[in-house]
Amino acid sequence: MSIIKVKNLVKTYRLPEKIEGSFNAVDGVSFSIERGEIYGILGPNGAGKTTTLEMLEGLNDIDAGAAYIDGLSVMDEPYKVKKIIGVQLQANEYFDGLTLGELIILFGNLYQVKVIPDKLLERVNLLDKLHAKPADLSGGQNQRFSIACALVNDPKILFLDEPTTGLDPQAKRNLWNLVLELNRSEMTIVLTTHNMEEAETLCHRIGIMDKGKLIAEDTPQNLITQYASDPPAAPLHGNIEDVFLALTGHGLRD
Amino acid sequence: MFSKIQFHLAKVFLKIFLRDRQSIIFSLFFPFVFMGAFSFTGGEVNPFNIGLVNNSTSIVAKNFSELISSDSLFNVTKGNEKDLRSGLINGEQSAVIIIPKDFQLNSISGDLRLLLDKSQIRQLRSIKESLGQSLLSIERELRGVEPMFVLQTEDVKARSLRYVDFLLPGILAFMIMNLSIAGSGYNIVEYRRRGILKRLFVTPIQPKDFIISIVLARLLIVIMQISVTLSFAIFFIDVKILGSFLSLYIMIILGSSIFLCLGFCLGSIAKTQESVRAVGGLVTFPQLFLSGVFFPISSMPEIIQPIIHILPLTVVVRGMRGIANDGLSFADMNIVLIGIVAWLVISFVLATKLFVWKKVAN
Repeated sequence: MSIIKVKNLVKTYRLPEKIEGSFNAVDGVSFSIERGEIYGILGPNGAGKTTTLEMLEGLNDIDAGAAYIDGLSVMDEPYKVKKIIGVQLQANEYFDGLTLGELIILFGNLYQVKVIPDKLLERVNLLDKLHAKPADLSGGQNQRFSIACALVNDPKILFLDEPTTGLDPQAKRNLWNLVLELNRSEMTIVLTTHNMEEAETLCHRIGIMDKGKLIAEDTPQNLITQYASDPPAAPLHGNIEDVFLALTGHGLRD
Repeated sequence: MFSKIQFHLAKVFLKIFLRDRQSIIFSLFFPFVFMGAFSFTGGEVNPFNIGLVNNSTSIVAKNFSELISSDSLFNVTKGNEKDLRSGLINGEQSAVIIIPKDFQLNSISGDLRLLLDKSQIRQLRSIKESLGQSLLSIERELRGVEPMFVLQTEDVKARSLRYVDFLLPGILAFMIMNLSIAGSGYNIVEYRRRGILKRLFVTPIQPKDFIISIVLARLLIVIMQISVTLSFAIFFIDVKILGSFLSLYIMIILGSSIFLCLGFCLGSIAKTQESVRAVGGLVTFPQLFLSGVFFPISSMPEIIQPIIHILPLTVVVRGMRGIANDGLSFADMNIVLIGIVAWLVISFVLATKLFVWKKVAN
């Protein structure tokens, strides 16, 4: 059963340089996501991935079309939707002067649920940072912490916007493991990325966006068969990332 | 009345503020320095140190000596001529008066001698004048003549108002404005820039919860800061608050509410930290000079006085001053009350119109 249904979603922006004239950042996108699925929205910068996600999260108005999350209309019942989703944004800064533990409690209060910061931080492998402040975290830790914040309400759906952008390979792989682990408990996860490898490793299905339109959608394997059926010459070796990992190890560096 | 979430968020804002020691100190620095500096001026004139050598045993000499000693303008040291003369030379005394041995009324040889350090020109006149006055009253007394004119000074408000007493309510009002506008306006722009508002917006928190908690926290912060400043003024500078503290604090809360709402307006209009500071400065800076914080509004050019009177800070300053300096209650200040209510309504309506969650967060 689909937990997310999106029909002909449109987001129109006015062109800043012209008084008349506008363009659709998201231009008639439709897809549905099954319960327990990891769905990846793939595309270059400016393809409309983040805007699509923001419309589902209630951050951006839906100019045309409709979106339903767990049977709730995002347009009509935004607050009910917000209660059942967890969101990690691209920019994840927090109030100064608060520790991770205090921030988790704050987010719990925003959802009016009781949370135990220790347990949640342990889930993202940050228990030792309970009394640290976000400013003291590394990039990977920061991403894991923002996922912890998104988990306070035990969401049915988790939205991750470019979760691994800017992370070193170790932190990236560590985050992939976290995503897979969360998904094992039947959590539906929607993520955007422009990392092909990430999409292939994590996602059950991928939607490829370009210029505001969804141009392809399928499982990674089917997409490869359909669009890149000619197998490339068997690689004689791994890529340079494998070299990097072989030399620097898989252990986390934070 | 307030929900749990509002209380919790207000507590968080308070905690954030209390952990930011630097801004606490900076926000107290200005009022403390100003009041401290002005507490030393505008009060009583320091008395002059005067030496008195009495070589006479006559009644007239005794009278004169007593009159001079009781004059608050002088701090009289009695002694012999030699010691006092050297005191005059090394600066301990401003002048030395010598009463000759044969000091008698109408006696030609009975001239008083005044030893002076002529470099102290500034004091010369007032010393001479005061001595002349003393001599005149002695003369009148001895001759049994009543003075023809008596000049009595009387303060219409029957209290002794030093400049620092006048200044304090103005400084407090200015603090209220700054702390409130910074608390809502500057903070909102900062939270938006860093994506914090956006992050809050994807949680089920309602905009009114966010606004109410900021207002609650800021009111407490303003009350704390004002109380520290007020205690300093009362206990160390001996400033007197004539009205009731309840009225004063109600005025503080009303004033803060106005400026918090105006801050929300600023924070909603201004998109960047630079622009909110520029616009904020445009709003606060002229009011600092125009709204009677430092000088009475009547000393401002008459052309702009009508405008000055409707500025929000003017209204708050007048209210604070009415309570602190004149001991008025709200019932005595109809015009101030009308101004406060008008500004509350205007700023609240504007703030709710301009602060749209989705627009402000994005």
